[in-house]
Amino acid sequence: MNGAAYVKKTILLILGTALLLAAPAILPLYWIMITTEVLIMGLFAMGFNLLLGYTGLLSFGQAGFFGVGAYTVALILSHGGTSVLLSLGAAVVVALITAVVIGYLCVRRDEIFFAMITLGFGMMLYTVAHNWVELTGGSDGLPLMMVPPLSFFGCEISLFDPVQMYRFVLVMVIIGIWILWRIVQSPFGLMLTAIRENRERLAFVGANVRQLRLAAFVIAGGVAGLAGGLFGLFNAMATPDIMHWSFSARPVLMTVLGGMGIFFGPMAGAAIYFGLEQMMTHLTQNWMIFLGLALIPVVIYFPKGILGSLVAWKKTVPQKRKKPLP
Amino acid sequence: MESFIINLLNGLSWGMLLFLISVGLTTVFGVLGVLNFAHGSFFMLGAYLCMQVMHIVPSFWVGLLVGPLVVALLAALVEKQLLRRVYGRDIAFQLLLTFAILLVLDDGVRIIWGPGYHVVEPPAVLAGVFSLFDNTYPIYRLFLVFAGPVIGLMLWAFFRFSRWGKRIRAAAMDPEMAEGIGIRVPLLFTAVFALGCWLAGMGGALAAPHQSLAPAMGERIIIESFIVVVAGGMGSFPGAFIGALALGLFESFGTVFLGRVQMAIPYIVLAAVLLIRPRGLFGQED
Amino acid sequence: MKMNKRLPVVFVAILLMGLVFAPLAPAATPVKIGFVYIMSGPFSAYGQFAKKGAELAVAEINAAGGINGHPVEAYFEDSTGKPDVAIRAFRKLVFQEKVNYLIGLDSSGVAKTVVPSIPQMKTPLIITHAATPDVTGSVCNRYVFRISVNLAQNVKAASLLAAETGATTWTTVGPDYAFGHQSWEYFEKYLKAIKPGMTFLPKDEVAFPPFKTTDFSPYINKVMQSKADGVLVSLWGGNLIDFVRQGKEMGLFNGKKQILITLGAAVEVLGALKDKMPEGLWVGTRYWFLANDSARNTAFVKAYHDRYGEYPSYNAHGAYGAVYTYKAAAEKAGSIDKEKIIDALEGLTVELPVGKITIRPEDHQALTDACWGKTAADPAYPIRVLKPIKIFKAADVTPSVTDAGCKK
Repeated sequence: MNGAAYVKKTILLILGTALLLAAPAILPLYWIMITTEVLIMGLFAMGFNLLLGYTGLLSFGQAGFFGVGAYTVALILSHGGTSVLLSLGAAVVVALITAVVIGYLCVRRDEIFFAMITLGFGMMLYTVAHNWVELTGGSDGLPLMMVPPLSFFGCEISLFDPVQMYRFVLVMVIIGIWILWRIVQSPFGLMLTAIRENRERLAFVGANVRQLRLAAFVIAGGVAGLAGGLFGLFNAMATPDIMHWSFSARPVLMTVLGGMGIFFGPMAGAAIYFGLEQMMTHLTQNWMIFLGLALIPVVIYFPKGILGSLVAWKKTVPQKRKKPLP
Repeated sequence: MESFIINLLNGLSWGMLLFLISVGLTTVFGVLGVLNFAHGSFFMLGAYLCMQVMHIVPSFWVGLLVGPLVVALLAALVEKQLLRRVYGRDIAFQLLLTFAILLVLDDGVRIIWGPGYHVVEPPAVLAGVFSLFDNTYPIYRLFLVFAGPVIGLMLWAFFRFSRWGKRIRAAAMDPEMAEGIGIRVPLLFTAVFALGCWLAGMGGALAAPHQSLAPAMGERIIIESFIVVVAGGMGSFPGAFIGALALGLFESFGTVFLGRVQMAIPYIVLAAVLLIRPRGLFGQED
Repeated sequence: MKMNKRLPVVFVAILLMGLVFAPLAPAATPVKIGFVYIMSGPFSAYGQFAKKGAELAVAEINAAGGINGHPVEAYFEDSTGKPDVAIRAFRKLVFQEKVNYLIGLDSSGVAKTVVPSIPQMKTPLIITHAATPDVTGSVCNRYVFRISVNLAQNVKAASLLAAETGATTWTTVGPDYAFGHQSWEYFEKYLKAIKPGMTFLPKDEVAFPPFKTTDFSPYINKVMQSKADGVLVSLWGGNLIDFVRQGKEMGLFNGKKQILITLGAAVEVLGALKDKMPEGLWVGTRYWFLANDSARNTAFVKAYHDRYGEYPSYNAHGAYGAVYTYKAAAEKAGSIDKEKIIDALEGLTVELPVGKITIRPEDHQALTDACWGKTAADPAYPIRVLKPIKIFKAADVTPSVTDAGCKK
């Protein structure tokens, strides 16, 4: 990456962050809440992208880790915990541990077998949440009667206010994205991409493919735990629904919509997903059929996703312009 | 003892239905390399079309014949227009495309036939019950237990001995080579997808007299048939048969012995099989 | 000729009158009511019923001059039966559409997790379908009300019936989620108190089929093999249809066992089964359109049948009744202000088609009669009807405020 492009990217990022911070002054409250959800689901999908886009592993059990995060937060806060930040930290830790155990068993499998075995483990977690009534509240889930305020050096911020909640989620998501960015840019991140490109060659040069994959799986699980914890705080609930395989399909959808293997692709995908949903549910009650009809051309004609195709298109345009006229 | 036999029959009849659906799924995967998320929706469509035909010609057998055929025609169209474009792409795209097709079919069925529940009567010959020890047991379920292996055997014979069957196996093994010796592979792929969905539709039509018809009936069965196909070995005929029967029996006996864990049975079976045999029971290692 | 001359005069007069009266009578600000039900997917039948009932109520009220003179506008949102989608729908209605009141919720699980977030929106919600005791119990709050029969009331009526059936050992078949398990726990608690000496099979011997089950035969087998002579069935919708058909084939309804179906008198179930529904089964519901012949009910059933060509289901009645409950509260409060409406709803008595209901101020649960009946054929109707009908008075089936456990 050359210097000019780097400066341009940094400026874009700072501008984007500033815009998001200023959003409550511009957007109506409802759209602030939708943006909060886009940020949470986008972070979830960005972690997932480390698996699908960078490492080439399709996990169908990510909702399990998302749910583990949400339940950890809900359990701590409903059993007398008062620190939101500590509960989020615990959500990440528990999700990481779960991901180590499940990942250890799964990363030896490939492609559809990896997808199915992660689906299997994800659904076992779902069953635990659904049936261990004493701990998890069973099918009803755990409603959070109240979210305690954040305390920073003596001043308290009430997360009951949706705008404050939005700002809090934004900060947490930026931290999550920053960590992911550092990982992707590190030598480890480059090795992951190499796994996707050619596993045999990487193994040949002495890299432990299994360990690399496990590391990617665990990081994606931890990010899912953080996103799930934020989801639990924002919606004041943890329910088994968010651990079902159909919920695992959401990050897949968002990642492919936005662009696999493109860093911000899944975030764009999340925004497109929620935008589409808002538009369609507004227009029709038969939104499922329209969502399906909209998805078909995207999958067929935009293999790089919407953001991916945009990036590719931007790259080709200046070159065409530079071509001298015949 | 009598409880054991009844559970055995229950497990077998459910397993046979699962087998019909899974064998279509596994054939499509074996030849086309696509795992079809919309397979359950074709199953549902088979049931609804059977019901629709019965409204016009009040015979279950006509419905059973015509319904799945219409499903197969629709499937051929889907393969030619849509599915063909994602062969060889990442499985995430194939799953998403077929998931989009699932959304369209499921919601389409709901729009056409309404969100409510429908009921289909079994044909008069099979409507009754027979006595089993102190209890009665429906004849239709026994019919299901026999229909599964019969259709399975016919299918096996078709693949083994007919010219078309041999061509399909050739194309599945090496599409380029098959093209080279003059097999029209694209047409063959369309036919195989239609055949797979015909089997799903057949399963749906056979299930119709036994369960209520609702727009969710496809979603309920799709994950279980995925499990059968993957645990049995992708593309494997005997794998689908053993997998479906095992899952049917596990679920039937699990209700008696396992209580709280029963919801997780299919997933535990799946994970256990894949941990011990990475490619499924009858899958080929590579 | 005379007509022609007069016409312009009349025209001008009307215009003038319009000018004079327009500033005096500004178009009254509408009262907006937001509805959240399952509008899409497999269970959308319930949302469609509710929408029909709601639209009928709104049309009737607007034709009669609105709520306190304000015309009523209805906004429908889709919960899809998922809690996070439902809460988003509520946010949209309150923060974007700026509705005055909320009505809704089919799923008990969704209701229980969404209810604690309603105070954040400072808007009253009337629940009309979800039956979990918790929303007017452990998670109750100032903003949430329920006018429909809840699980405790329905099951209390079931246990009063059960005590008279002669069966002494009871088992259950219920969906494997909170609703099924709670139905069984409440049944056991109530029946033990009503008639000591009853036996209840332990939890691992009763049947809780998972929600996605289509083949109930293993469970039916389990029940038939058990030593129980009474069965409480809390399955509903498609599950119940499959269960009844398969149970009939296997001989479950041959009279050896007493069977009580808590949600059996739902028109979507009876309509699908038609004459395949066995006769002589005890079935319960929240509202049965033939249960009383009050003028209010007769008018509702007729208006509904004229408009939609079918008989109202309990969910249609729930949404219909909730709109009228808000109307009554607004009249009592003399205002459409949200907080004043809440004060007015507490202790409000209103006559709905189901009968007179009173909203208990302590926990916001309506005291409403529970309805049970025996299925019977009637040539006048395409579906099984209830004969005889047994109405349980609200006072006899509603748990006390202390038992409900609401601490607002």
